[in-house]
Amino acid sequence: MSVLWEGLVQGLLGVWTLARVVIPLMIVLEIAAANRILERVNRWTVPLFRLVGLSEAGAFPVVVATFFGLTFGSGVIISYIEEGRVSPREVRILGVFMALSHALVEDTALFLAVGAPIAVLLIPRLTAAFVCCWGLHRFLIWKNAGTVNADAVNS
Amino acid sequence: MALQLDSAMVKTGAVKGIRITLELAKIVVPTTILVALLRGSGVLESMSVACAPLMKLFGLSGDAAIVLISGYFVNLYAATASILALGLAPREIAVLAIMLGFAHSLLVEVVVSRRAGSPVSVILPLRVGVSLLSGMIFGRLM
Repeated sequence: MSVLWEGLVQGLLGVWTLARVVIPLMIVLEIAAANRILERVNRWTVPLFRLVGLSEAGAFPVVVATFFGLTFGSGVIISYIEEGRVSPREVRILGVFMALSHALVEDTALFLAVGAPIAVLLIPRLTAAFVCCWGLHRFLIWKNAGTVNADAVNS
Repeated sequence: MALQLDSAMVKTGAVKGIRITLELAKIVVPTTILVALLRGSGVLESMSVACAPLMKLFGLSGDAAIVLISGYFVNLYAATASILALGLAPREIAVLAIMLGFAHSLLVEVVVSRRAGSPVSVILPLRVGVSLLSGMIFGRLM
Protein backbone atom coordinates (compact mmCIF):
# COMPACT_ATOMS: atom_id res chain seq x y z
CA MET A 1 0.00 0.00 0.00
CA SER A 2 2.76 2.42 0.90
CA VAL A 3 4.32 1.68 -2.50
CA LEU A 4 1.12 2.68 -4.33
CA TRP A 5 0.86 5.78 -2.19
CA GLU A 6 4.45 6.73 -2.91
CA GLY A 7 3.83 6.29 -6.65
CA LEU A 8 0.69 8.40 -6.53
CA VAL A 9 2.34 11.25 -4.62
CA GLN A 10 5.30 11.19 -7.00
CA GLY A 11 2.92 11.19 -9.95
CA LEU A 12 0.99 14.21 -8.69
CA LEU A 13 4.22 16.07 -7.96
CA GLY A 14 5.31 15.15 -11.50
CA VAL A 15 2.08 16.52 -12.96
CA TRP A 16 2.67 19.76 -11.05
CA THR A 17 6.26 19.96 -12.32
CA LEU A 18 5.08 19.50 -15.90
CA ALA A 19 2.05 21.81 -15.54
CA ARG A 20 4.42 24.64 -14.64
CA VAL A 21 6.06 24.06 -18.02
CA VAL A 22 3.07 23.28 -20.21
CA ILE A 23 0.65 26.02 -19.20
CA PRO A 24 3.04 28.98 -19.67
CA LEU A 25 4.30 27.31 -22.86
CA MET A 26 0.84 27.12 -24.39
CA ILE A 27 0.22 30.78 -23.53
CA VAL A 28 3.49 31.78 -25.22
CA LEU A 29 2.72 29.67 -28.29
CA GLU A 30 -0.76 31.16 -28.53
CA ILE A 31 0.69 34.70 -28.48
CA ALA A 32 3.31 33.64 -31.04
CA ALA A 33 0.68 32.23 -33.38
CA ALA A 34 -1.54 35.32 -33.08
CA ASN A 35 1.43 37.52 -33.98
CA ARG A 36 2.43 35.36 -36.96
CA ILE A 37 5.85 34.90 -35.38
CA LEU A 38 6.42 31.68 -37.32
CA GLU A 39 6.09 33.48 -40.66
CA ARG A 40 8.68 36.01 -39.48
CA VAL A 41 11.10 33.35 -38.29
CA ASN A 42 10.56 31.58 -41.63
CA ARG A 43 11.64 34.73 -43.49
CA TRP A 44 14.66 35.42 -41.23
CA THR A 45 16.00 31.89 -41.55
CA VAL A 46 15.90 31.70 -45.37
CA PRO A 47 19.72 31.90 -45.81
CA LEU A 48 20.28 29.21 -43.19
CA PHE A 49 17.88 26.68 -44.71
CA ARG A 50 19.11 27.42 -48.23
CA LEU A 51 22.38 25.71 -47.19
CA VAL A 52 20.52 22.41 -46.87
CA GLY A 53 18.44 22.88 -50.02
CA LEU A 54 15.24 24.22 -48.52
CA SER A 55 13.43 27.23 -49.98
CA GLU A 56 11.29 29.55 -47.85
CA ALA A 57 8.24 27.37 -48.58
CA GLY A 58 10.19 24.19 -47.85
CA ALA A 59 11.45 25.52 -44.52
CA PHE A 60 8.01 26.58 -43.27
CA PRO A 61 6.95 23.11 -42.05
CA VAL A 62 10.32 22.85 -40.28
CA VAL A 63 9.72 26.16 -38.49
CA VAL A 64 6.24 25.01 -37.45
CA ALA A 65 7.63 21.68 -36.20
CA THR A 66 10.43 23.45 -34.33
CA PHE A 67 8.03 25.55 -32.28
CA PHE A 68 4.87 23.43 -32.10
CA GLY A 69 6.20 19.88 -32.41
CA LEU A 70 5.00 17.07 -34.61
CA THR A 71 1.82 16.42 -32.65
CA PHE A 72 0.43 19.93 -32.13
CA GLY A 73 1.88 21.08 -35.45
CA SER A 74 0.76 18.04 -37.44
CA GLY A 75 -2.42 19.65 -38.83
CA VAL A 76 -0.57 22.66 -40.26
CA ILE A 77 2.42 20.62 -41.47
CA ILE A 78 0.44 17.89 -43.22
CA SER A 79 -2.01 20.22 -44.93
CA TYR A 80 0.82 22.53 -46.07
CA ILE A 81 2.56 19.59 -47.74
CA GLU A 82 -0.63 18.08 -49.14
CA GLU A 83 -1.42 21.40 -50.80
CA GLY A 84 1.66 20.75 -52.92
CA ARG A 85 3.50 23.94 -51.94
CA VAL A 86 6.74 22.07 -51.47
CA SER A 87 8.58 20.02 -54.13
CA PRO A 88 9.03 16.24 -53.55
CA ARG A 89 12.77 16.80 -53.23
CA GLU A 90 12.27 19.31 -50.44
CA VAL A 91 9.70 17.07 -48.74
CA ARG A 92 12.45 14.46 -48.30
CA ILE A 93 14.87 16.96 -46.82
CA LEU A 94 12.40 18.68 -44.50
CA GLY A 95 11.10 15.26 -43.37
CA VAL A 96 14.57 14.34 -42.11
CA PHE A 97 15.02 17.71 -40.42
CA MET A 98 11.65 17.58 -38.67
CA ALA A 99 12.15 14.00 -37.51
CA LEU A 100 15.39 14.81 -35.69
CA SER A 101 14.61 18.28 -34.46
CA HIS A 102 11.14 19.43 -33.44
CA ALA A 103 9.21 20.73 -30.43
CA LEU A 104 12.40 22.43 -29.29
CA VAL A 105 10.49 24.64 -26.87
CA GLU A 106 8.36 21.93 -25.28
CA ASP A 107 10.93 19.11 -25.15
CA THR A 108 13.63 21.44 -23.89
CA ALA A 109 11.42 22.94 -21.19
CA LEU A 110 10.37 19.45 -20.12
CA PHE A 111 13.92 18.17 -19.64
CA LEU A 112 15.00 21.45 -18.04
CA ALA A 113 12.24 20.83 -15.49
CA VAL A 114 13.85 17.51 -14.50
CA GLY A 115 17.36 18.95 -14.42
CA ALA A 116 19.07 18.50 -17.79
CA PRO A 117 21.28 21.38 -19.02
CA ILE A 118 19.89 23.42 -21.93
CA ALA A 119 22.96 23.03 -24.17
CA VAL A 120 22.66 19.24 -24.38
CA LEU A 121 19.03 19.61 -25.36
CA LEU A 122 19.34 22.04 -28.26
CA ILE A 123 22.81 21.71 -29.78
CA PRO A 124 22.86 17.97 -30.59
CA ARG A 125 19.40 18.00 -32.18
CA LEU A 126 19.98 21.07 -34.36
CA THR A 127 23.48 19.93 -35.33
CA ALA A 128 22.36 16.41 -36.27
CA ALA A 129 19.39 17.76 -38.24
CA PHE A 130 21.54 20.20 -40.22
CA VAL A 131 24.30 17.65 -40.86
CA CYS A 132 21.89 14.91 -42.02
CA CYS A 133 19.95 17.31 -44.24
CA TRP A 134 23.12 18.75 -45.73
CA GLY A 135 24.26 15.18 -46.51
CA LEU A 136 20.92 14.33 -48.11
CA HIS A 137 20.94 17.60 -50.07
CA ARG A 138 24.44 16.90 -51.46
CA PHE A 139 23.47 13.28 -52.18
CA LEU A 140 20.40 14.37 -54.15
CA ILE A 141 22.49 16.85 -56.16
CA TRP A 142 25.08 14.15 -56.87
CA LYS A 143 22.39 11.64 -57.85
CA ASN A 144 20.80 14.10 -60.23
CA ALA A 145 24.06 15.37 -61.69
CA GLY A 146 23.89 15.24 -65.47
CA THR A 147 20.15 14.62 -65.60
CA VAL A 148 17.75 17.43 -66.40
CA ASN A 149 15.85 18.12 -63.22
CA ALA A 150 13.78 21.23 -62.77
CA ASP A 151 13.65 20.49 -59.09
CA ALA A 152 17.38 20.84 -58.59
CA VAL A 153 17.17 24.43 -59.79
CA ASN A 154 15.06 25.02 -56.73
CA SER A 155 12.62 27.94 -56.88
CA MET B 1 6.51 44.84 -35.40
CA ALA B 2 4.87 45.63 -32.05
CA LEU B 3 3.68 42.50 -30.33
CA GLN B 4 -0.07 42.09 -30.20
CA LEU B 5 -1.10 40.93 -26.77
CA ASP B 6 -4.53 40.60 -25.23
CA SER B 7 -6.20 38.64 -22.48
CA ALA B 8 -8.06 36.44 -24.99
CA MET B 9 -4.76 34.96 -26.21
CA VAL B 10 -3.59 34.32 -22.66
CA LYS B 11 -6.92 32.71 -21.84
CA THR B 12 -6.96 30.46 -24.92
CA GLY B 13 -3.37 29.40 -24.20
CA ALA B 14 -4.06 28.75 -20.53
CA VAL B 15 -7.15 26.67 -21.31
CA LYS B 16 -5.14 24.59 -23.81
CA GLY B 17 -2.37 24.21 -21.26
CA ILE B 18 -4.75 23.02 -18.55
CA ARG B 19 -6.40 20.57 -20.96
CA ILE B 20 -2.98 19.16 -21.90
CA THR B 21 -1.99 18.98 -18.22
CA LEU B 22 -5.07 16.83 -17.52
CA GLU B 23 -4.10 14.57 -20.44
CA LEU B 24 -0.58 14.39 -19.02
CA ALA B 25 -1.87 13.42 -15.60
CA LYS B 26 -3.39 10.32 -17.23
CA ILE B 27 0.09 9.30 -18.40
CA VAL B 28 2.32 10.61 -15.62
CA VAL B 29 0.42 9.28 -12.59
CA PRO B 30 0.10 5.68 -13.90
CA THR B 31 3.79 5.78 -14.93
CA THR B 32 5.08 6.78 -11.51
CA ILE B 33 2.74 4.26 -9.82
CA LEU B 34 3.97 1.54 -12.19
CA VAL B 35 7.60 2.42 -11.50
CA ALA B 36 6.93 2.41 -7.74
CA LEU B 37 5.22 -1.01 -8.03
CA LEU B 38 8.06 -2.41 -10.14
CA ARG B 39 10.54 -1.20 -7.59
CA GLY B 40 8.55 -2.42 -4.57
CA SER B 41 8.11 -5.90 -6.07
CA GLY B 42 11.77 -6.26 -6.99
CA VAL B 43 10.95 -6.51 -10.72
CA LEU B 44 12.75 -3.23 -11.41
CA GLU B 45 15.92 -4.65 -9.92
CA SER B 46 15.87 -7.77 -12.11
CA MET B 47 15.00 -5.68 -15.18
CA SER B 48 17.82 -3.36 -14.30
CA VAL B 49 20.30 -6.23 -13.99
CA ALA B 50 19.11 -7.70 -17.32
CA CYS B 51 19.42 -4.38 -19.15
CA ALA B 52 22.68 -3.32 -17.50
CA PRO B 53 25.05 -4.70 -20.20
CA LEU B 54 23.10 -2.92 -22.96
CA MET B 55 22.76 0.33 -21.03
CA LYS B 56 26.48 0.25 -20.32
CA LEU B 57 27.00 1.10 -24.01
CA PHE B 58 25.51 4.50 -23.19
CA GLY B 59 27.25 4.83 -19.85
CA LEU B 60 23.90 4.43 -18.09
CA SER B 61 22.71 2.30 -15.20
CA GLY B 62 20.31 -0.59 -15.87
CA ASP B 63 17.50 1.43 -14.24
CA ALA B 64 17.63 3.95 -17.06
CA ALA B 65 16.29 1.34 -19.50
CA ILE B 66 12.79 2.02 -18.24
CA VAL B 67 13.21 5.72 -19.10
CA LEU B 68 14.26 4.89 -22.66
CA ILE B 69 11.44 2.38 -23.10
CA SER B 70 8.76 4.75 -21.80
CA GLY B 71 10.14 7.60 -23.96
CA TYR B 72 10.46 5.59 -27.17
CA PHE B 73 7.08 3.88 -26.92
CA VAL B 74 4.93 6.32 -24.92
CA ASN B 75 6.23 9.89 -24.86
CA LEU B 76 8.56 12.31 -23.15
CA TYR B 77 6.09 12.94 -20.34
CA ALA B 78 6.19 9.26 -19.41
CA ALA B 79 9.99 9.37 -19.72
CA THR B 80 10.38 12.43 -17.49
CA ALA B 81 7.94 10.89 -15.00
CA SER B 82 10.17 7.79 -14.86
CA ILE B 83 13.24 10.00 -14.39
CA LEU B 84 11.56 11.65 -11.41
CA ALA B 85 10.42 8.31 -9.98
CA LEU B 86 13.88 6.73 -10.31
CA GLY B 87 15.84 9.69 -8.98
CA LEU B 88 18.66 9.40 -11.53
CA ALA B 89 21.98 11.26 -11.39
CA PRO B 90 22.25 14.54 -13.39
CA ARG B 91 24.80 12.98 -15.76
CA GLU B 92 22.39 10.16 -16.61
CA ILE B 93 19.52 12.61 -17.06
CA ALA B 94 21.63 14.59 -19.54
CA VAL B 95 22.53 11.51 -21.62
CA LEU B 96 18.91 10.33 -21.60
CA ALA B 97 17.73 13.81 -22.63
CA ILE B 98 20.02 13.72 -25.68
CA MET B 99 19.00 10.19 -26.68
CA LEU B 100 15.29 10.82 -26.16
CA GLY B 101 15.41 14.16 -27.97
CA PHE B 102 16.14 12.28 -31.18
CA ALA B 103 13.65 9.47 -30.69
CA HIS B 104 10.44 9.60 -28.65
CA SER B 105 6.68 9.01 -29.02
CA LEU B 106 7.68 6.92 -32.01
CA LEU B 107 4.32 5.22 -32.47
CA VAL B 108 2.59 8.58 -32.92
CA GLU B 109 5.28 10.71 -34.54
CA VAL B 110 6.31 8.24 -37.21
CA VAL B 111 2.72 8.31 -38.44
CA VAL B 112 2.81 12.13 -38.59
CA SER B 113 6.08 11.96 -40.54
CA ARG B 114 4.58 9.43 -42.97
CA ARG B 115 1.58 11.69 -43.59
CA ALA B 116 4.02 14.54 -44.19
CA GLY B 117 5.65 12.51 -46.96
CA SER B 118 8.52 10.66 -45.25
CA PRO B 119 8.31 6.85 -45.25
CA VAL B 120 8.49 4.96 -41.95
CA SER B 121 11.33 2.86 -43.39
CA VAL B 122 13.51 6.00 -43.52
CA ILE B 123 12.39 7.93 -40.45
CA LEU B 124 12.29 5.12 -37.88
CA PRO B 125 15.84 3.78 -38.46
CA LEU B 126 17.12 7.38 -38.74
CA ARG B 127 15.68 8.46 -35.40
CA VAL B 128 16.48 5.30 -33.47
CA GLY B 129 19.94 5.11 -35.09
CA VAL B 130 20.88 8.71 -34.26
CA SER B 131 19.47 8.25 -30.75
CA LEU B 132 21.58 5.13 -30.03
CA LEU B 133 24.65 6.64 -31.67
CA SER B 134 24.35 9.88 -29.68
CA GLY B 135 24.00 7.78 -26.52
CA MET B 136 27.24 5.94 -27.28
CA ILE B 137 29.06 9.20 -28.00
CA PHE B 138 27.74 11.33 -25.13
CA GLY B 139 27.62 8.42 -22.68
CA ARG B 140 31.37 8.21 -23.07
CA LEU B 141 32.08 11.95 -23.25
CA MET B 142 30.04 13.04 -20.28
